Amino acid sequence: MTKKEIISKLTTIVKPYIQNEEGFKNISENTDFINDLEINSANLVDIVLDVEDEFNIEIDNDSMEKMLSVKAVVGIIQEKQSA
Amino acid sequence: MIGNDIVDLQLAETESNWQRTGFLERQFTKKEREVILKSHDSFLQVWLFWSMKEAAYKCYTQQHEKRFFAPQKFECSLTSKDEGFVVFKKSKFYTTTFFNTLYVHTIAQENQEEKNFFSAIDSSATIESNIKRKLQEETGVFSTEITKKKSSIGAPLYYYKEKLLIKSCSISHHGNYGAFAFTLANES
Repeated sequence: MTKKEIISKLTTIVKPYIQNEEGFKNISENTDFINDLEINSANLVDIVLDVEDEFNIEIDNDSMEKMLSVKAVVGIIQEKQSA
Repeated sequence: MIGNDIVDLQLAETESNWQRTGFLERQFTKKEREVILKSHDSFLQVWLFWSMKEAAYKCYTQQHEKRFFAPQKFECSLTSKDEGFVVFKKSKFYTTTFFNTLYVHTIAQENQEEKNFFSAIDSSATIESNIKRKLQEETGVFSTEITKKKSSIGAPLYYYKEKLLIKSCSISHHGNYGAFAFTLANES
Protein backbone atom coordinates (compact mmCIF):
# COMPACT_ATOMS: atom_id res chain seq x y z
CA MET A 1 0.00 0.00 0.00
CA THR A 2 1.36 3.41 -0.91
CA LYS A 3 1.73 6.22 1.59
CA LYS A 4 -1.03 8.07 -0.21
CA GLU A 5 -3.43 5.15 0.16
CA ILE A 6 -2.59 4.80 3.84
CA ILE A 7 -3.20 8.51 4.47
CA SER A 8 -6.50 8.34 2.61
CA LYS A 9 -7.73 5.42 4.76
CA LEU A 10 -6.42 7.11 7.90
CA THR A 11 -8.32 10.28 7.01
CA THR A 12 -11.57 8.28 7.01
CA ILE A 13 -10.65 6.69 10.35
CA VAL A 14 -9.94 9.96 12.17
CA LYS A 15 -12.90 11.88 10.76
CA PRO A 16 -15.43 11.00 13.51
CA TYR A 17 -13.02 12.20 16.23
CA ILE A 18 -11.79 15.53 14.87
CA GLN A 19 -12.84 18.82 16.43
CA ASN A 20 -10.97 21.20 14.17
CA GLU A 21 -12.51 21.27 10.68
CA GLU A 22 -9.84 23.57 9.28
CA GLY A 23 -7.08 21.23 10.41
CA PHE A 24 -8.97 18.30 8.93
CA LYS A 25 -9.37 20.00 5.56
CA ASN A 26 -5.61 20.44 5.42
CA ILE A 27 -4.72 16.97 6.65
CA SER A 28 -1.27 15.86 5.54
CA GLU A 29 1.64 13.82 6.71
CA ASN A 30 2.58 16.64 9.08
CA THR A 31 -0.78 16.77 10.83
CA ASP A 32 -0.71 16.32 14.60
CA PHE A 33 -3.83 14.64 16.01
CA ILE A 34 -4.05 16.75 19.14
CA ASN A 35 -2.57 20.11 18.10
CA ASP A 36 -4.03 20.30 14.59
CA LEU A 37 -7.18 18.18 14.70
CA GLU A 38 -7.96 18.72 18.40
CA ILE A 39 -8.80 15.09 18.86
CA ASN A 40 -9.57 14.30 22.44
CA SER A 41 -6.84 12.12 23.94
CA ALA A 42 -9.44 9.57 25.07
CA ASN A 43 -10.26 9.03 21.39
CA LEU A 44 -6.64 8.27 20.49
CA VAL A 45 -7.26 4.75 21.67
CA ASP A 46 -10.20 4.49 19.27
CA ILE A 47 -7.87 5.47 16.44
CA VAL A 48 -5.40 2.78 17.54
CA LEU A 49 -8.18 0.16 17.58
CA ASP A 50 -9.63 1.35 14.25
CA VAL A 51 -6.19 1.27 12.59
CA GLU A 52 -5.67 -2.28 13.85
CA ASP A 53 -9.00 -3.36 12.34
CA GLU A 54 -8.67 -1.51 9.06
CA PHE A 55 -5.10 -2.51 8.29
CA ASN A 56 -5.28 -5.90 9.97
CA ILE A 57 -2.20 -5.31 12.11
CA GLU A 58 -1.40 -5.46 15.81
CA ILE A 59 -0.08 -2.32 17.40
CA ASP A 60 2.03 -2.98 20.49
CA ASN A 61 2.27 -0.50 23.34
CA ASP A 62 5.67 0.82 22.23
CA SER A 63 4.25 1.76 18.82
CA MET A 64 1.07 3.16 20.36
CA GLU A 65 3.19 5.51 22.44
CA LYS A 66 4.23 7.36 19.25
CA MET A 67 0.80 7.56 17.62
CA LEU A 68 0.30 11.32 17.88
CA SER A 69 0.63 12.28 14.22
CA VAL A 70 -0.26 11.11 10.73
CA LYS A 71 3.41 10.60 9.96
CA ALA A 72 3.95 8.35 13.00
CA VAL A 73 0.93 6.20 12.17
CA VAL A 74 1.93 5.86 8.51
CA GLY A 75 5.40 4.77 9.65
CA ILE A 76 3.96 2.17 12.03
CA ILE A 77 1.58 0.77 9.39
CA GLN A 78 4.35 0.54 6.76
CA GLU A 79 6.67 -1.16 9.24
CA LYS A 80 4.05 -3.74 10.29
CA GLN A 81 2.96 -4.44 6.73
CA SER A 82 6.48 -5.07 5.52
CA ALA A 83 7.26 -7.33 8.49
CA MET B 1 4.45 20.95 38.89
CA ILE B 2 0.71 20.88 38.66
CA GLY B 3 -1.60 19.31 36.10
CA ASN B 4 -5.36 19.14 35.72
CA ASP B 5 -7.93 17.43 33.59
CA ILE B 6 -11.66 17.79 33.15
CA VAL B 7 -14.09 15.31 31.61
CA ASP B 8 -17.56 16.35 30.51
CA LEU B 9 -19.45 13.17 31.39
CA GLN B 10 -22.29 13.75 29.00
CA LEU B 11 -19.85 14.17 26.12
CA ALA B 12 -17.74 11.22 27.28
CA GLU B 13 -20.82 9.05 27.09
CA THR B 14 -21.44 9.87 23.42
CA GLU B 15 -17.84 10.38 22.31
CA SER B 16 -16.36 7.16 23.66
CA ASN B 17 -17.64 3.67 24.16
CA TRP B 18 -15.70 2.34 27.15
CA GLN B 19 -17.22 -1.09 26.55
CA ARG B 20 -15.67 -1.33 23.11
CA THR B 21 -13.42 -4.39 22.78
CA GLY B 22 -9.86 -3.37 23.57
CA PHE B 23 -10.75 0.03 25.02
CA LEU B 24 -10.08 -0.84 28.66
CA GLU B 25 -7.23 -3.22 27.85
CA ARG B 26 -5.25 -0.58 25.97
CA GLN B 27 -5.58 2.16 28.55
CA PHE B 28 -5.84 0.61 31.96
CA THR B 29 -3.70 -1.80 33.93
CA LYS B 30 -5.08 -5.12 35.12
CA LYS B 31 -5.48 -3.73 38.62
CA GLU B 32 -7.39 -0.69 37.35
CA ARG B 33 -9.62 -2.84 35.16
CA GLU B 34 -10.56 -4.94 38.18
CA VAL B 35 -11.56 -1.81 40.08
CA ILE B 36 -13.55 -0.53 37.09
CA LEU B 37 -15.43 -3.77 36.55
CA LYS B 38 -16.19 -4.23 40.25
CA SER B 39 -17.43 -0.66 40.66
CA HIS B 40 -21.16 -0.05 40.95
CA ASP B 41 -20.63 2.79 38.46
CA SER B 42 -18.05 1.50 35.99
CA PHE B 43 -18.62 4.42 33.62
CA LEU B 44 -17.72 6.96 36.29
CA GLN B 45 -14.76 4.87 37.43
CA VAL B 46 -13.36 4.80 33.87
CA TRP B 47 -13.44 8.59 33.61
CA LEU B 48 -12.20 9.14 37.13
CA PHE B 49 -9.09 7.04 36.41
CA TRP B 50 -8.75 8.63 32.99
CA SER B 51 -8.74 12.16 34.39
CA MET B 52 -6.17 11.08 37.01
CA LYS B 53 -3.90 9.73 34.27
CA GLU B 54 -4.29 12.82 32.11
CA ALA B 55 -3.66 15.21 35.00
CA ALA B 56 -0.52 13.25 35.96
CA TYR B 57 0.65 13.21 32.31
CA LYS B 58 0.26 16.99 32.11
CA CYS B 59 2.34 17.33 35.26
CA TYR B 60 5.04 15.03 33.92
CA THR B 61 5.30 16.55 30.45
CA GLN B 62 5.73 20.09 31.73
CA GLN B 63 8.98 18.90 33.23
CA HIS B 64 10.15 16.50 30.55
CA GLU B 65 8.94 18.33 27.42
CA LYS B 66 8.18 15.17 25.51
CA ARG B 67 4.77 14.05 24.26
CA PHE B 68 3.64 10.44 24.04
CA PHE B 69 0.54 8.30 24.42
CA ALA B 70 1.02 5.64 27.07
CA PRO B 71 -2.01 5.75 29.37
CA GLN B 72 -1.42 2.25 30.68
CA LYS B 73 1.96 3.24 32.09
CA PHE B 74 0.31 5.71 34.46
CA GLU B 75 -1.11 3.53 37.19
CA CYS B 76 -3.82 4.96 39.41
CA SER B 77 -4.54 4.07 43.02
CA LEU B 78 -7.23 5.58 45.17
CA THR B 79 -6.69 6.18 48.86
CA SER B 80 -10.22 7.50 49.39
CA LYS B 81 -13.16 8.09 47.10
CA ASP B 82 -11.64 11.29 45.70
CA GLU B 83 -7.94 11.17 46.60
CA GLY B 84 -5.18 9.00 45.29
CA PHE B 85 -1.93 8.88 43.39
CA VAL B 86 -0.62 8.00 39.94
CA VAL B 87 2.72 6.30 39.43
CA PHE B 88 4.66 6.67 36.19
CA LYS B 89 8.20 5.28 36.04
CA LYS B 90 9.93 6.82 39.06
CA SER B 91 7.47 9.68 39.45
CA LYS B 92 4.52 9.81 41.79
CA PHE B 93 1.71 12.31 41.43
CA TYR B 94 -0.84 12.98 44.14
CA THR B 95 -4.36 13.54 42.90
CA THR B 96 -7.55 15.12 44.15
CA THR B 97 -10.68 14.58 42.09
CA PHE B 98 -13.97 16.39 42.24
CA PHE B 99 -16.88 14.72 40.53
CA ASN B 100 -20.62 15.10 40.20
CA THR B 101 -23.14 13.94 37.62
CA LEU B 102 -21.89 16.47 35.05
CA TYR B 103 -18.10 16.31 35.16
CA VAL B 104 -14.97 14.85 36.68
CA HIS B 105 -12.05 17.15 37.48
CA THR B 106 -8.66 16.03 38.76
CA ILE B 107 -5.69 18.02 39.97
CA ALA B 108 -2.35 16.21 40.11
CA GLN B 109 0.80 17.46 41.80
CA GLU B 110 4.16 16.07 42.71
CA ASN B 111 4.31 17.72 46.08
CA GLN B 112 1.48 16.47 48.23
CA GLU B 113 1.90 19.32 50.69
CA GLU B 114 1.70 22.09 48.08
CA LYS B 115 -1.45 24.05 48.89
CA ASN B 116 -0.35 27.22 47.19
CA PHE B 117 -2.08 26.74 43.88
CA PHE B 118 -5.06 28.30 42.14
CA SER B 119 -7.68 26.36 40.32
CA ALA B 120 -11.19 26.80 38.94
CA ILE B 121 -13.78 25.01 36.90
CA ASP B 122 -15.76 27.03 34.42
CA SER B 123 -17.41 26.92 31.03
CA SER B 124 -15.20 26.00 28.12
CA ALA B 125 -15.85 29.38 26.48
CA THR B 126 -14.72 31.60 29.37
CA ILE B 127 -11.85 29.66 30.88
CA GLU B 128 -9.14 31.56 28.98
CA SER B 129 -10.34 34.97 30.18
CA ASN B 130 -10.88 33.64 33.68
CA ILE B 131 -7.36 32.39 34.10
CA LYS B 132 -6.05 35.83 33.10
CA ARG B 133 -8.40 37.46 35.58
CA LYS B 134 -7.16 35.14 38.31
CA LEU B 135 -3.56 35.90 37.36
CA GLN B 136 -4.35 39.60 37.58
CA GLU B 137 -5.81 39.11 41.05
CA GLU B 138 -2.79 37.20 42.27
CA THR B 139 0.06 39.10 40.59
CA GLY B 140 -1.33 42.61 40.23
CA VAL B 141 -0.54 42.62 36.50
CA PHE B 142 -3.52 43.78 34.43
CA SER B 143 -5.03 40.93 32.46
CA THR B 144 -4.71 42.90 29.20
CA GLU B 145 -0.95 43.05 29.81
CA ILE B 146 -0.68 39.30 30.24
CA THR B 147 0.29 37.32 27.17
CA LYS B 148 -0.10 33.62 26.65
CA LYS B 149 2.52 31.51 24.94
CA LYS B 150 2.92 27.80 24.57
CA SER B 151 5.84 25.62 25.55
CA SER B 152 7.34 23.16 23.06
CA ILE B 153 4.84 20.51 24.15
CA GLY B 154 1.89 22.92 24.15
CA ALA B 155 1.68 23.69 27.87
CA PRO B 156 0.38 27.22 28.56
CA LEU B 157 2.83 29.88 29.74
CA TYR B 158 1.74 33.34 30.89
CA TYR B 159 4.01 36.34 30.65
CA TYR B 160 4.06 39.97 31.63
CA LYS B 161 6.52 41.40 29.10
CA GLU B 162 9.54 39.09 29.43
CA LYS B 163 8.64 37.87 32.88
CA LEU B 164 7.11 34.43 33.31
CA LEU B 165 4.28 34.73 35.82
CA ILE B 166 3.61 31.08 36.50
CA LYS B 167 5.78 28.27 37.75
CA SER B 168 3.48 25.59 36.45
CA CYS B 169 0.16 25.79 34.62
CA SER B 170 -2.35 23.46 33.11
CA ILE B 171 -5.56 24.20 31.20
CA SER B 172 -8.08 21.59 30.27
CA HIS B 173 -11.17 21.69 28.04
CA HIS B 174 -13.79 19.09 27.37
CA GLY B 175 -17.28 19.66 26.02
CA ASN B 176 -19.02 22.35 28.01
CA TYR B 177 -16.34 22.64 30.65
CA GLY B 178 -12.98 24.24 31.09
CA ALA B 179 -10.64 24.19 34.06
CA PHE B 180 -7.24 25.46 35.06
CA ALA B 181 -4.65 24.99 37.74
CA PHE B 182 -1.48 26.99 38.25
CA THR B 183 1.22 27.84 40.72
CA LEU B 184 2.93 31.21 40.66
CA ALA B 185 6.58 31.84 39.85
CA ASN B 186 8.56 32.72 42.95
CA GLU B 187 8.84 36.42 43.64
CA SER B 188 12.46 37.43 43.33
